[in-house]
Amino acid sequence: MSVITVMLPLALLLGFGFTAAFIWMAAKGQYDDLETPAYRLLLEEEPAETGSQRKA
Amino acid sequence: MPALDARIQGPGFMSVGVSALPPVLQVACAHCGSRVARERVRAARDSFCCEGCEAVSGILRSRGLTGYYSLRERGGSLRRPAPAPQLDRSYAYLDDPAFRKLYASDAGEGALQMAFFAEGVHCAACVWLLEKLPEFVPGVRSVSLDLGSSTAVVRVPPSGSFAEAAREFHRLGYRPHPVRGTEQEELQARENRRMLIRVGLSGACTGNIMLLAFAVYGGADGSWARLFNWLSFVIFLPVLFHGAVPFYQEAWRALRRRQISIDVPIVLGIAVGAAASFANLLSGSGHVYFDSLSALVFLLLSSRYVMRRAQQGALHSTKLLHFLAPSVVRRKRVQAPPYEEISMDLLQPGDLIEVRPSEPVPIDGIVTSGRSHLNRALLTGESDPVAVGAGETVFAGTVNLDSVLEIRVQASGYATRLGAILRAIETGQGRKAPIVNLTDRISRYFVAVAVALAGAVFAWGAWSSGWQEGLNRALAMVIVTCPCALALATPLAMSVAIGRASRQGMLIKGADALERLASADSVYLDKTGTLTSGEFGVLEWSAAAGREREAERAALALEARSNHPVARAIVRHLSAKGAPEAGAIAEVHDFQERLGRGVSGRIGGVAYELRQAEPGASGTEVVLSAGGETIARIALGDQLREGAREAVERLRASGLEPAILSGDAEGPVARVAAALGIPADKTHARATPERKSELIRGEARALMVGDGANDAAALSSAYVGVAVHGGMEVSLRAADAYLARPGVGPVLELVTAARESMKVVRRNLAFSLVYNVIGGGAALLGWVDPLFAAVLMPLSALTVFVSSIAGTRTMRRALR
Repeated sequence: MSVITVMLPLALLLGFGFTAAFIWMAAKGQYDDLETPAYRLLLEEEPAETGSQRKA
Repeated sequence: MPALDARIQGPGFMSVGVSALPPVLQVACAHCGSRVARERVRAARDSFCCEGCEAVSGILRSRGLTGYYSLRERGGSLRRPAPAPQLDRSYAYLDDPAFRKLYASDAGEGALQMAFFAEGVHCAACVWLLEKLPEFVPGVRSVSLDLGSSTAVVRVPPSGSFAEAAREFHRLGYRPHPVRGTEQEELQARENRRMLIRVGLSGACTGNIMLLAFAVYGGADGSWARLFNWLSFVIFLPVLFHGAVPFYQEAWRALRRRQISIDVPIVLGIAVGAAASFANLLSGSGHVYFDSLSALVFLLLSSRYVMRRAQQGALHSTKLLHFLAPSVVRRKRVQAPPYEEISMDLLQPGDLIEVRPSEPVPIDGIVTSGRSHLNRALLTGESDPVAVGAGETVFAGTVNLDSVLEIRVQASGYATRLGAILRAIETGQGRKAPIVNLTDRISRYFVAVAVALAGAVFAWGAWSSGWQEGLNRALAMVIVTCPCALALATPLAMSVAIGRASRQGMLIKGADALERLASADSVYLDKTGTLTSGEFGVLEWSAAAGREREAERAALALEARSNHPVARAIVRHLSAKGAPEAGAIAEVHDFQERLGRGVSGRIGGVAYELRQAEPGASGTEVVLSAGGETIARIALGDQLREGAREAVERLRASGLEPAILSGDAEGPVARVAAALGIPADKTHARATPERKSELIRGEARALMVGDGANDAAALSSAYVGVAVHGGMEVSLRAADAYLARPGVGPVLELVTAARESMKVVRRNLAFSLVYNVIGGGAALLGWVDPLFAAVLMPLSALTVFVSSIAGTRTMRRALR
């Protein structure tokens, strides 16, 4: 059981860290728009493509 | 190459090989996908439904932005794309310092930002296109689009121009409308964030407590078990003192009103559970329930958060429809150019403005020059156009029909007649009596039963196995019957229904509205604009035998030269019939138009005259004579919408007794009632807004359907009010639901959706009660321990969740 004395605080610390990060993000309004980011994901590959077109 | 590629695989499937197909086949617009009129179909190239779409497509191609089409194909769409509007304004007012002061805000880093509602935004490709704006409009720093609310935030440096960005939006086919963030919205956004933090925090704590509890269930004992339980307790504290706070507030609010809401038994469960667990933790014996309690809080918070977002989503879109009232007017200036565009907000009484044909009148004022007809259907319910001239008063909410009017502003915004109605609605005059929703009705009994049972369990346990055991069983009873699934049942089912309905163009403002819609038993329909198109049209055309062609030819030739609403209705009617063969309109000599009387002229040597007959009971009638002999009679009025008869029939069949409630004159109302088979005692004509409101208030469970400002009071005081497509902002605000599709057809769909979702709610409630009975029974027998609670509760929540998502078969068919 001695491993638990290491694992338990570590797990709790990790959980605490992510919860704090979540609260920070929510407070900054990162989750205000839940719809558009799902679509924006699809646009990832575009910049290179349009770059070449603009030259043409 | 990608550009060409996109063109072919994007819109191409509609246009490739058109020439080889039979001409009857419908051709879709290469830009927006709407049906292309026959004469616009082109064989070898892409076809467009209108100039606007063609222009946008040209711009996209010339800027190398055709990736838009391929993205749209791949990305899936929220809504259908719409034909593009043509650029008809300069948007110069956006850069007016006074306007900026009202609408723009500081975006940080030396930039200004302004939010626009972008009309026509519908898919991922739109996001891509609009957010690319900075690449081809110099001076724009960034654009970010929120697809859910169709709002784009544009950032420019202080020297930059919002007008330029707005013109580009317009050119690309998205008509922009500046929106001003209200304080209420900001509060709402902040509350959303706070609530999300509660959800996330409770979720994280629940997960960690479960890990620890699992170790205890798995057999950890002695000092380890004590350690884990103490740790659970520590992690449970944020849930107890932060996450669950909304429940305390709600429960307290209900108790202060001397009512019982679902929050009361929840708080009872949490409080008893936390106290008993803490006592047991201190004494080192007995059960602790921290895992179940925090899971309960987490599940309930999540469902309420989801419900809140679904409701706000529906409300958001309605609110943004405020562009129904024009936000920009053309004000007359002393210097050239003679008119400037300015925002409604900056208009002063005494200003002179110009209102063009087919534009709404934005203010109350007096006509200073010009002569025209106004459609007052939305303000008063009258269907016949009303003539106005210099010196006459006009009101906001009417639509100018045929020629330019110059109007001196007397009142704008809230000071107008329309504004007064709007304010009355906003301040909640004539608001309906609140209903106690089904869940809260059940929870009244629930609390009583649970407390009574707990008492019984204590007594029986104490009698059979000592008071200590009795107390334990009673506490377990309260904890395990805490109505988690019961509280989830309604919000889950309803947010699913509201979400699905809003994708179908039916915006429901809240759970309350859904419950009311499902229980309505009669339906009061407004006539003008709801049952009818609200536009002046030809109802009946009777020509003398053998002279039909002559009558059509002469009427078209004469009326094509006039701008009068009657003339325009006749021309529309004839061109829809395909009367002008090959577009040829006969030549007219000695054409004369006499105001308010009619038109006359000579065609091929014969003197024709179109004269307005004396107004009779049946509305407007026009007589066409050739050389003094009557050859045709044309009846005009407001036309019944296509499918209205069937829709009313189906409403009746579904148990909603239809009635008509109109502000129009008896003649047209009786005609529509007769066509729909609605008896005379269910037909009310010439109803003032006050009369409408009074009548509808007298009905216990009436569904009111309307569109105009004259319906607003009735919509808000009805048991449930539904505003239909094309209505005014004020009616949208007053109503409980809004239909984005025209006509009464969707009303039945809305009611069906509501009824089906209430079925789901009832099924959910039944499930959750079954679980509570099981839990209660187990507690009575002393079987309940933390593991039992930890399994039963998520299981019941899961059942309710699956039941809500699945809906009913009818609902799946109605709302896909």
